[in-house]
Amino acid sequence: MSTLELKDVTVLYKKHIGIKSASFAAKSGEIIGFIGADGSGKSSLMHAIAGVIRFLGEISYKGTAYHSPKEAEKIKEYIALMPQGIGLVLYDTLSVGEHLDFFADIRNIKKDAKFKEYREKLLHMAGLSRFIDREARNLSGGMMQKLSLICTLLHRPKLLILDEPTTGVDPLSRLELWEILDSIRREEGTVILVSTAYMQEAAKMDRVLLFDDGEIIANGTTAELIDSIRPYVYKEDVCQSKSCLSFNKKSYSLENLNGAHSEPTLEGLFFVNALKTSKTLPKIERLERSQKVDLPEVVMEARDICKYFGGFIANEEIDMQLKRGEILGLLGANGAGKTTFIKMLLGLYPIDKGELTLLGKSIRSGKDRQSLKSKIGYVSQHFALYKDMTVRENLIYFANMHKIPLAVAIERIERYSQELGFARYMDELPTSLPLGVNQRFSIAAALLHEPVILFLDEPTSGVDAIARAQFWEILQKLKEEWGISILITTHYMSEAEYCDRVVLLKEGKKIADDTLEQLYSTHPNAKSFEDIFLSFYREKQG
Amino acid sequence: MKLSTIKGYMLKEFTELWRTRLILMVFLMPSMVLLLFGYGMRMEVNHARLLIIDNDQSVYSSELISKFEHTKYFNTTLAQISEKEALHLIKQAKIDAIVIIPSSFEKRLLHGQRSEIALFVDGAFPTRATTVESYIQATVLSAVSDVAGKRKLTPKGVITINQRTLFNQAMRDEDAIVPGLIGLVLLVAPAILAALLIVKEKEKGTIFNFYASALSKGEFLLAKLLPVFLLHSLNIFILFLWAVYLFKVPFRGSFALYWFTSELYILISLSIGMLISVITKRQIVAVVLTVVVTILPGFLYSGMLMPISSMKAESYIEAHLFPVMYYNHILYDTFLIGQGLASDKIIYYLFILVGFFILLFTLGRVLLKKEMS
Repeated sequence: MSTLELKDVTVLYKKHIGIKSASFAAKSGEIIGFIGADGSGKSSLMHAIAGVIRFLGEISYKGTAYHSPKEAEKIKEYIALMPQGIGLVLYDTLSVGEHLDFFADIRNIKKDAKFKEYREKLLHMAGLSRFIDREARNLSGGMMQKLSLICTLLHRPKLLILDEPTTGVDPLSRLELWEILDSIRREEGTVILVSTAYMQEAAKMDRVLLFDDGEIIANGTTAELIDSIRPYVYKEDVCQSKSCLSFNKKSYSLENLNGAHSEPTLEGLFFVNALKTSKTLPKIERLERSQKVDLPEVVMEARDICKYFGGFIANEEIDMQLKRGEILGLLGANGAGKTTFIKMLLGLYPIDKGELTLLGKSIRSGKDRQSLKSKIGYVSQHFALYKDMTVRENLIYFANMHKIPLAVAIERIERYSQELGFARYMDELPTSLPLGVNQRFSIAAALLHEPVILFLDEPTSGVDAIARAQFWEILQKLKEEWGISILITTHYMSEAEYCDRVVLLKEGKKIADDTLEQLYSTHPNAKSFEDIFLSFYREKQG
Repeated sequence: MKLSTIKGYMLKEFTELWRTRLILMVFLMPSMVLLLFGYGMRMEVNHARLLIIDNDQSVYSSELISKFEHTKYFNTTLAQISEKEALHLIKQAKIDAIVIIPSSFEKRLLHGQRSEIALFVDGAFPTRATTVESYIQATVLSAVSDVAGKRKLTPKGVITINQRTLFNQAMRDEDAIVPGLIGLVLLVAPAILAALLIVKEKEKGTIFNFYASALSKGEFLLAKLLPVFLLHSLNIFILFLWAVYLFKVPFRGSFALYWFTSELYILISLSIGMLISVITKRQIVAVVLTVVVTILPGFLYSGMLMPISSMKAESYIEAHLFPVMYYNHILYDTFLIGQGLASDKIIYYLFILVGFFILLFTLGRVLLKKEMS
C-alpha cells in the first residue's frame, strides 16, 4: 500500500510550467530522491506535495486526497517541509534552543518529559548540544541545515519533504545529514522526499526520480536506472551521427557503435534522455584565436593572501599558483572563501594582507592592474548580463568596454556564436534562454578580447548535466587550442575530475593543493574525488 | 485557536523585535515626529516687518500707527520714502508689508468720505501673506472703531467687528497642530510595523514555517498583529503626555474616549499594514508603500493644514475616504472642545471607524493566502 500517491500533478507559473503531470507513489520508510538541475521542477513538485502552492491533479496521503493548499491543511500536522536555501527557515537572532521551542510551539507540541527527551536526542544527533545558546546567524552553513532539519523533525512528521538540504553544505555535514535521515526513517517509518543536485547522493536513496525540464524522465532504483541505459553507453568512441555524444571517457549513442560497452553512471541518464528527445546543445568543433598566446611559466602567484570582513576571516594566508596552460579548480563548500579569493585576484575586493603577482607583475595598486585588464577574462557567479538587452547587444557592449574596434568585434561575435553554438539565440533576451545558453555566451563575452587568463566563478552551478559536460569541453578546448590558463571555482566535487590541479578551501583556509593524479595515488581507496575531499575535511577537523 | 501556539509565536516576535533593535523604532519614531513637527511647524505670524509711510501726519494717522506699534504681530518702522523705494525694499526681502496712509486721510474721514489706505504684502509665501494681510485689516478696523467710539461718532459705513476665535482662543499653533500629529503618527507607525513583521518572513523565507505547518491563518495574524497592537497602545499614552505636558495643549474631553478611539485607530492602521504585506515581497517596498498610503492622507486630510469643511469637490470626497479625518475630528474634540459622546457626529464617526476596521481587516484576512504566490 502506498502512503503517498500523486496523480498527474502539474504546477503552472505565470510564464512557464514548473512541473508537468508528475505521478508516483511512495511507501512508509522509503527515501525517494529527486535529482535534476535547477529549474527542472523538483522544488515545484515538493511545494505542491507540501500544500504550499496551487497545483492541478491529485495528491493523496494515507487515503486523504487533496487538490489545493486549502485542502492540504488537514494533513499539515503530519508533514514537514524544509525549503531550499541554507538557513532559510531560521531566524537570525534566535538561538538554537529558542528555535526548538518556537517550532514546538507552532506545532503545538506539549513540552513534557517525552518531548524534552526527544529534543535532547535530536540535538545530540545533529551535534548541536553544545551550541544551544548560539544565535542562528553565527552558525556555519552545515550547522544551519542540521538545525533546520531537526526543527522540522520535532513534531515527528510522517512525510518529510527536504528541498536540497545538502547543496553547498560541506561534505562532512552532508554525511551527517544523511545519517539523521536514515535513522529517522527506520525509527519513525517516515516517507522522506529529498532533492539534491549531487548525483553521488543517489546511492543513499531507495528510489530515484530524475527530473529534466519540468518532467520526470525516469523512476526506479539506482541499479534499475543504470541498467536501463546500459545498451547506449560505450567506451569513448568517435561520434559521427547526431544521435551520439561523448563525454568524460564515455560515448552515448542511440545507434549501435560496435564498440565496447562501458559501465554507465546516473549522469548518463541525462545524456541518453537528451539524445532521445534531441535536446542537446550543438557540439563545439574548434575555437579560433587571432593573437598568439605568450605566457610566463607561472601566470598567477598569490602569497599569504588574507581577507577580513570585520571580525570574520574570509581568506587566511592563502598561497596559490596558476601555471601556464593549466586548469586549476578551486573547490569548497558555500562560504569557504572561493568567490572572495577570485574577487581579490580581479581587484574587486582590496587585498588585506599578502602579495599577488599576475603575469610576472607585482600588484600593489589599481594602477598595476590597468595594463593587465586586456589579458584577463572573467565570468561571474551569476553571469553579469544585462537582462533587457539581447545577446548580440550584450556582446557588443562588452566588446566596447574592452575598446575592441567594432569591425573586429562583430567578426569575433559572429565567429563565437557559430563556434559555441548560440548563433540562433543572438536576438533574444538572456532571461528567455536556458541557463546553459547564457553560460555559453557569458564565456564568449569573457573571451572577446582574447584574454590569456580566464577566471570563472561557479559557472556550472544550476546548469543541467549536459550543458555542464559541454561547458567543460569548451574549457578543455580553450586550454588545448589557445593554451591559456583557467582558474575555476565550483562546489561540485565531481567536477574536480576535469581539472589538472585542485585547491581545496575550508572556512577560508587552504587544506589541499595538488594534481589529480597525485591525489588519487595518495588516496588509493578513494572511489571518487568526493572521498578524497572528505578525508581532507576529516583530517583538518582534528 | 490554540493559545499556547499564539503565545509561543508572539514570544518569538518580541524576542526578535528586541534583538534586532526594531523596538527602538517603535517608540522613537512617534515621539520624534511629534517633537520635530510640533516645534517645527508654525502657521501663525509674529513680528512681521511692517513699513508705514505716513503722508498725512495727523492725529488719526498717528493713532493708527500706534495701534500697529502696540501689537506683537508687527515690527513697525516709519519712513518717509517714496512708494517705489518701499516696493524695492519688499523685493529685497527686507520688509514683509507696506502700509501707506494718504495725505488727506484725517480730513476725508471727518467729512465722512471714503479714504483709501494702500497696502502691499510680500506674497512669496501665500499663507503667510494672507495672514499678514488679515492682521493688518483687523488692526486698521480696530483703530477705526476705536476712533469712532472715542469721538462718539457713528459714521456711515464704518463696520464694527466683534471677532472671537473659538476653541483656540489664544490662537496657539501647538493646540492646532499637535493633536493632528498624533492622528498622523498613529496611522503611520503601526502600519509600518505590521507590514514589516509579515513581509520580513516572506523576504527571508521563514514564511514557510507558517505555510507548511498546521498553524491557522487566524493564529498567524493574531501572533503578528497583537505585539504591534500592544506596543503601540503604549504610544497612545506617551504621545498624550507629550501633548499635554510638553506642548501644553489643553485637554477638555474624556480620556476614556481618547483612549478607546485611539486603540480602534491603531487597529485600522495595522489592518492597512497587513493589507500591504499581502501584496509586497520585500521589506523596503513594504515600508515605502506604507509611508505613501498613510503619510500623505494622514497629513493632507488631518485638518492640520486646512479644515475639511472648507475643502472642495474632489479633495472633500478624498478626505472622507481615509480614516484620519474621522479620528482627528474626535481627537480635536477630546483635546480642545470636550463635547464627547454628547455629539451625534462623534458617535456617527466612531461607527465609521469601526466600519473601517472591519472592512480593512476582513479584506486583509481574506487576501492573505497560506500559499506561495
